[in-house]
Amino acid sequence: MLLNLSSKTTEMSSLINKIIKEDEIERYLDNGRDFINDEEIWEKINKHANPDPVQVREILAKSLAIETLEPDELAVLINVKDPELWEEMFATAREIKKKVYDNRIVTFAPLYCGNLCINNCLYCGFRRENKVIKRRVLTIEEVKREAEVLAGEIGHKRLIVVYGEHPATGAKYIRDTIEAIYSVKVKTKKGYGQIRRVNVNAAPMSIDELKMLKEVGIGTYQVFQETYHHETYAKVHPKGTVKHHYQWRLYCHHRALEAGVDDVALGVLFGLYDWRFELMGLLYHARDLEKKFGIGPHTISFPRLEPAANTPFVQETKYKVSDEDFKKIICLIRLAVPYTGMILTAREPAHLRREILALGIVTQTDASTKIGIGAYSDRYTEQELERQQFQLGDTRSLDEVVRELAEMGFITSFCTAGYRCGRTGERIMDLLKTGKERIFCKLNAVLTFKEWLDDFASEETKKVGEKVIQKEMEELKEMVSPGVYKKLLEYYQRIENGERDLYF
Amino acid sequence: MGRETFISKFVNLADEIKKKYGVNLWLVEVLGKRHSYIAGHKEDSFLPPEPIYLNERFAVVSNEWEKIPEHEKEALIKALKEEV
Repeated sequence: MLLNLSSKTTEMSSLINKIIKEDEIERYLDNGRDFINDEEIWEKINKHANPDPVQVREILAKSLAIETLEPDELAVLINVKDPELWEEMFATAREIKKKVYDNRIVTFAPLYCGNLCINNCLYCGFRRENKVIKRRVLTIEEVKREAEVLAGEIGHKRLIVVYGEHPATGAKYIRDTIEAIYSVKVKTKKGYGQIRRVNVNAAPMSIDELKMLKEVGIGTYQVFQETYHHETYAKVHPKGTVKHHYQWRLYCHHRALEAGVDDVALGVLFGLYDWRFELMGLLYHARDLEKKFGIGPHTISFPRLEPAANTPFVQETKYKVSDEDFKKIICLIRLAVPYTGMILTAREPAHLRREILALGIVTQTDASTKIGIGAYSDRYTEQELERQQFQLGDTRSLDEVVRELAEMGFITSFCTAGYRCGRTGERIMDLLKTGKERIFCKLNAVLTFKEWLDDFASEETKKVGEKVIQKEMEELKEMVSPGVYKKLLEYYQRIENGERDLYF
Repeated sequence: MGRETFISKFVNLADEIKKKYGVNLWLVEVLGKRHSYIAGHKEDSFLPPEPIYLNERFAVVSNEWEKIPEHEKEALIKALKEEV
């Protein structure tokens, strides 16, 4: 169903009216206002232009206690210029990550199901007026084929499934694709492969639509605000599109939580506006979710604008983020919302990903990434911009990335245990804040990494991977009770024998 | 029986078990592969969680089932299955 909406203003208006439900925005407003006050944010950033090192260290202690920062506190950190203080900030961020998530890096892959879009965002290759893009929506059978490659040949267990905003890929299609992906089971070398967690990146939805996704076991519901700056938002998301409605997007996570989808993910597309403002916006967002639902963001993403086919906006923006500022952004997110998962994607080039992962701050990354529609099962290897939203910076295989992480001393985790035994929402918040979750992370990283090494790794990767497992197990012996350790050994052996999906 | 009434009965039973055997039980809603926490005691050990399914929609999870005598565990599950 290829709607040509560009010339049908009336059709678009009625679509907008059908999609956006004002009462599902107004109920969350405070005195009729949303939680992003542009003037207040700039006032705070300017007020703390010369931070006192003593105050900075007090704030770092608060982050280390896994407490979400106040906006004023983040504004102080944003303004730090002293390189030595920055070193302390990076060290604290690393310590926090270890305290909350231990030594693991979770891996996943994106799966793009369609690139039809009714929006016209200036920075996006998929915008509706971009005529060079080859448009396509995967059938349910094609979605299954993609999942078979991802689960059966590459070994992924967790996906972020991506959909454009279009009636052809609405909530019902999303529901059907989630079910299709979960139904896939593929024989592997020693066991079987399955996608165990389907996270969704899609347009803002109504509470009823989100309830529909909850019913089929959606993992995390991820929507990026793109920019929190009202004026910029209006400029880059033109009038006459659904996405132009700032607050419909801003409160979609609130609706998800109200619908019972208790893992939600935030993000900003860095490069649309001043990164300092955007960081403050993310913090206000996390705090509003915490205040109203007791549940903060499961993850925060921090993509930067990347080149896209026939999209000159990307070259023209004056807010491009340098690599050095990008690293600071990552550090500041960890300090501001210490409990949150943080996702570094293959948008970034391999050398920078290597450098950032080595900082020990982020928790998730993707690999063997393809973002063309149908790209995994079509098996094309070169990037084709006409069927991608943007250009990837790192197209290395999962095997290469896993090996590199192992050489750096990290364990790759394919864990999806938490949301399959009730460790979600406010429960996971407690576990993260008290440092208990790191033990689950460590135990499940060992088991899932073992599965992957046995089923998918090259000999070279297996060798270095097994050394990491040994180190992790030695550490676990000291960290858990003898009973838990005994169970770990039992599960490890059962996995060795071909059993799959055992977890703590 | 309404959902809220069932949850409240579950919480009472979970409290009794906690008091008697020190075992944590929690109730989850089964949604595809997702098991969403609804109510009950949060685990404080790291042993693997084991769900017992009450029906297609709900399961009771614990990581210390073996500490509850078998007959009492069976009676508990039977009672919950009747109530759900």
